[in-house]
Amino acid sequence: MSEIKPDANKKVNQLREMDARDRWRVIGNWLLDHAMIIIILLMVIYIQIQRPAFLATASIVNIIQLTATRLPIALGIAGAIILTGTDLSAGRVVGLGAFVSAILLQKADLANRFLAGMGPWPVVIVLVVVMLVGGIVGLVNGFCVAKFKLHPFIVTLSTQLITYGLYLTLSNAAQISNLDESYTSELVIKPMFRLGNTPVMSYVAFAIIVTAIMWFIWNKTTFGKNMFAVGSNEEAARVSGVNVTMVIIGVFALAGVTYGYTGFIEAARMGASTGTIGLNYELDAIAACVIGGVSFVGGIGKISGVVLGVVLMQLIMSGMTFLGISGNTTYIIKGLVILIACAIDMRKYLTKK
Amino acid sequence: MKKILALVLALTMVLGMGSVALAEGNAQVFWYTMSDTYLASVRTALNAKFDEAGISYVDQDGNATQTTQTDQITTAIATGTDLLAVNIVETGADGIAQNVVDQAKAAGIPLLFFNRSVSEDVVKSYDKCCFVGTNYEQAGIMQGDMIGDYLLANYDAYDLNGDGVISYVMFKGQEDNQEAIARTKYGQENADAKLVAAGKPALKFYDESNAQKYLVDQAGTWSRQVAQDYMTTILAQYNMDAGNMVELVIANNDEMALGAMQALQQAGYNNGEGTTTIPVFGVDATADAVAAIDAGTMAGTIKQDAEGMAEAIATIAANMIAGNDMYEGLNENFTVEDGWKVVIPYAVYTGE
Repeated sequence: MSEIKPDANKKVNQLREMDARDRWRVIGNWLLDHAMIIIILLMVIYIQIQRPAFLATASIVNIIQLTATRLPIALGIAGAIILTGTDLSAGRVVGLGAFVSAILLQKADLANRFLAGMGPWPVVIVLVVVMLVGGIVGLVNGFCVAKFKLHPFIVTLSTQLITYGLYLTLSNAAQISNLDESYTSELVIKPMFRLGNTPVMSYVAFAIIVTAIMWFIWNKTTFGKNMFAVGSNEEAARVSGVNVTMVIIGVFALAGVTYGYTGFIEAARMGASTGTIGLNYELDAIAACVIGGVSFVGGIGKISGVVLGVVLMQLIMSGMTFLGISGNTTYIIKGLVILIACAIDMRKYLTKK
Repeated sequence: MKKILALVLALTMVLGMGSVALAEGNAQVFWYTMSDTYLASVRTALNAKFDEAGISYVDQDGNATQTTQTDQITTAIATGTDLLAVNIVETGADGIAQNVVDQAKAAGIPLLFFNRSVSEDVVKSYDKCCFVGTNYEQAGIMQGDMIGDYLLANYDAYDLNGDGVISYVMFKGQEDNQEAIARTKYGQENADAKLVAAGKPALKFYDESNAQKYLVDQAGTWSRQVAQDYMTTILAQYNMDAGNMVELVIANNDEMALGAMQALQQAGYNNGEGTTTIPVFGVDATADAVAAIDAGTMAGTIKQDAEGMAEAIATIAANMIAGNDMYEGLNENFTVEDGWKVVIPYAVYTGE
C-alpha cells in the first residue's frame, strides 16, 4: 500500500478537511452504496472460516463454470434493463435454442433419432442457426416494444408463452439425448486444462469471448452509446437524432442471440434437451444484473458490474450449499439478497434526485 | 494497512482450523421439487432416519428444473460430500442421469437415485450406484385393478345416466414421465380388463373429441390446482342436469385426485350423505387423501410407502458412507432386483 493513487489521496485529504459529522456521513454513504458487496464479502469470509474447502480449487472452478453458463443471458438482459425494460422471454428461448441444437446435433443412425435420416450438422452452422433463432425472438420483442410502445414486461411475457408453445409443438415434449461428440465432449464440455485435479471446460473460454464482444459493443460502438442515451432519456436521445426504434430492436435482438447461444451450451452441458431447460433463467439473470449495479432507473450499468453480479450470485448459491442450508431457506436468503440489492440501488438515485 | 491485512489473515486461519469440520457422514439430498406432498412425507421420514444414524444432511430443491438440479449436484461434488441422493427431475432421457452418474463416478462419490426412475444401463454404469423406488408400472396396474373391482361391486349405482357405460376422466401428472405414462395407461387398461371380463363394456372417455384420452398438467408438477381447474371447466359442460355427467375420476396422484374432488364438491357433488358421489381415485396415499377416503369423498388410492422408502434410503446411505455392501441389513420387505434396483412395494387403500 505504499503507492496511493493521487485521486484517492485527494479524497483522503478532502475527508481530513471535513468536520467530524460530515466525515462520518460521507463514510456512511460510501458504506451504504457498497453495502451489497461488503455483505457478500463478509459472507464469503464467514463461509470460508466455517468450511475451508469453499475457496479450494475444485469449488472455485465450479463457481467459475456456473458463472460462465449464466453470464451471457445476464449480459443480454442487462441491455433491456438499461432501456428501463426487462426480458422475461429469456429462459424459454434458451429452451428452444437447446432443442434446436439437440435435434440438429443428435448422433447419426439412432433408432429413435428425432430428425430421422440425417447426420449431425457441422457444429458452427448449428451455433449460427440457434443464435439466429434467438435473435428472431428478440427482434419480435424489440419490434413490439419500439413500434407499439408496449411495456417490455408485457411483450416478453407474451413471447415467453409463445416460444414455449412453439417448443412444445415442435418437440411434443420429447427429450433429445445421445448428442454427437463433435458437439459435447469435443467442443462445449471439452476440458481445456486442469486446475489441480479439476478440469476447466471450454465453455468458460467461450463465455469470456462473449463477454469481450459485449464489452466492445457497449463501450466502443455508436450502437452501445446510443443504448445508454435511450436508456437515460429516450426523448432527449430522439431529439438529438438517435434512431430510437433501431436501438431498441437491436438491444432485444442482441439479447435474443445470447439466449440462443446459452441454449446451445446448456443442451451440451446437460447431455440432452428437455422441457425445463432454461426455465426461470431470466429471473436469476435479472437479479444478477441488479446486484451488479445495472439499474432499473435506466441508462446505468457496466459489463464489469454484470460479471460481478453473476459471480456474486453464484458465490451465494454455492456458499449456501457449503453451509448446508436447506432448500427452503435458500429461497428466503436469495429473495432477501435481491431485495437489499434493489433497495441500495434505488437509494443512490433517490438521493441524487 | 498491511498489519490489518495480516491480522485478518491470521484470524481467518485460526478460526478456520478451530471450526467444526463436516460431520463424519454427510449426505446431500436433491429433491425434484420441495412442493410435492408425497415427497415431503418421504423427506420428513428420511431426515428423522438420518438424525438417528448420525448422518448430517442437506436437502436441496431442484424446483422441477433439471439444469438447476444438475448445477446443485456439481456444486455439492465440489464441496466434497460423502453421498449424493438424487430424486432426478427428468426421467425421460438417459443422457441427463448419465451426466450425473459420470460426475459422481469421476469424483468417486456414492450415488443413490430414488423415487423417480432411472434406467438400468445408467445405474449399472457405476458400481457405487443404485436406485430405490417402486416398479413404476405397478402403481398404475394396481390402481386399474382397484378401480375395476370397485366399479363391479356396485356397477349400476356408478352408471349415473343409466346408459350402461361408465364415462371417466383421466388426469396425467406430467407429459413426459415414465410413471405418469404408465399410470395413465394401466389405470384405464386394467380397469377395462376387469370390466370386460365381468361382461361389462369398457370405460369411455368423457370427451370423445379428445384423442389423447387424458388431461395433463402442462407444467409437469402433478398439481392439485391444475386438476381442480380442469374439473371445474369440465363440470360446467358435463353435469347431472345435462345428463352427461363424468362418472369416474382417475388421477395419476392424490394431489390431482383431491383437486378434482374439490371441484366436484364446489359443484355440489361428493359432499357425503344425500349428494351424488363420483368415485375419485389417486395414487400415493397422502394424509389428505387418506382423510378424504375415510370421509367417503374419495374412493381409493395406492399407497406409496413413504416411511419404507425413507428407511431403505437411510440404510443404503449408511452402508455407502461406511463403505459396506450397499444392501447390508436391508429390511426384507424390500426386494433387490438384479443388484441395482431396490423395490418398495405398493398397497391398495380404499378406507379402513
